[in-house]
Amino acid sequence: MNCHSLRSILLLLTSLIFVGRADCSVTDDAQKQLKTWVDQVVDVASHAPDREVLRTKVRPILENCINFDSMTRRAVGPGWRQFTPDQQREAIRLFTTLIIRTYTAKFTPGEVPSTTYKGSFSTTPGRVEITTSSLYKGSHYDIVYRLEQGSTANTQGWRITDIVIEGVSMVANYRTQFDSEFQQGGAASVIKSLTHSVNDPK
Amino acid sequence: MSIPLSIRRFHLLPLILLGTIALSATTHGASATKTKRSDGKSVAPHSSPASDNDLDEYKNTGAIPDPIQPVNRDTFWVNHQLYRYILKPISRTYDTLVPKPVRTGIYNVCDNLEFPLRFVNDTLQGNLKRAGGEAEKFGINSTIGLLGIFRISDRFPSLADIPAADTGQTFAKWGVPHGFYLVLPFYGAKSLRDTVGLAGDYALSPIFWVSIWLTSIPWVPAVTAPDSVRTLHDKLAAYESLTNNSMDRYLAVRSAWVQYRKKVADQ
Repeated sequence: MNCHSLRSILLLLTSLIFVGRADCSVTDDAQKQLKTWVDQVVDVASHAPDREVLRTKVRPILENCINFDSMTRRAVGPGWRQFTPDQQREAIRLFTTLIIRTYTAKFTPGEVPSTTYKGSFSTTPGRVEITTSSLYKGSHYDIVYRLEQGSTANTQGWRITDIVIEGVSMVANYRTQFDSEFQQGGAASVIKSLTHSVNDPK
Repeated sequence: MSIPLSIRRFHLLPLILLGTIALSATTHGASATKTKRSDGKSVAPHSSPASDNDLDEYKNTGAIPDPIQPVNRDTFWVNHQLYRYILKPISRTYDTLVPKPVRTGIYNVCDNLEFPLRFVNDTLQGNLKRAGGEAEKFGINSTIGLLGIFRISDRFPSLADIPAADTGQTFAKWGVPHGFYLVLPFYGAKSLRDTVGLAGDYALSPIFWVSIWLTSIPWVPAVTAPDSVRTLHDKLAAYESLTNNSMDRYLAVRSAWVQYRKKVADQ
């Protein structure tokens, strides 16, 4: 092997190490951020006397850590382009309430889950998946958090864009339901159905 | 080579126009679609066409052919009434009458006795390591754990979280597709593949055969049989958590079930 090809291999290996390290640092940052949020939510859940208080106190934390805008757009799918700006705003507002309610419904006030961070990887630049295992009321649950780095001034830093509990993605689950509503009556039907779900929980 | 000033200006014009349009679009997007948060801050959604590429990311997640949807929806409605008015009160009564340590003990004994179901399926899937883990778990819990009353195996990290194998999962590993979606009376969400798998699960379940043998004492199989009172609490909690904030209960359960079974098959 000549000196030139040896140098090329060394260069390639060095660059791979640097890329790997950069990737690790990105996922570490996201995991550190996620851990802070999970700890905050668990702290609120362990002290909340009832579900209503839990929901009220958890809301600002979730608003800070979840990218509801991205969640709503992906849950609606390509039909989102046919929403007027007012309809988009209204859909995000309603879906935020619904997601917060769905997420807090998983907690029983006073019960504290213990979370183990099992690993994280970067799916594409600016996107990270963090796998955790949660021990809650004697059962183990696999929870995957999907995070994305925000690109606008309002969404800078890492934000959660989906929560996958035992393989079930929150966004995908609502996508199936939104699809059906959208096919029946477009954006108006989606908003109507969302309003109904928010105002009249089953 | 120098470019005449008039031509250079002409080249700059489209750039200036594009820049102005982009700037006005950004400003318009930010002001037109802001959402108020509870702390009073406004958040602008990403609504620019450039960020719309991700809109179809979840297109096929949770999808399954559902050619007999009207029939499935009717069965789903009957099941919903059954859960709400019959099974939920039964589950509550069981939780009230039987103290939690006893309930946990019953659950653990039955779960331990389901060992052949998991062991055979792990072996059929060629996952001998996991089958070995199941055998080890069964040995420890049946002896030190007093016939499985106590799950001593949970204290060993390698045995604490072995995913439970079933026949539907084995079919999935062998490449058998779902077929179509089915809602079975009482059992709920299934696919054609997993309905056949359910029959396999029952055939491999010692608890099921013991329950048939004990039908003369009905309360025993009512508590110990697979899919009986002992597993009701968790199943109803999962059902309610899924459907309480849904817009369409049927679609919420169908999508969640397909996604969950995919996770099980991928494990």
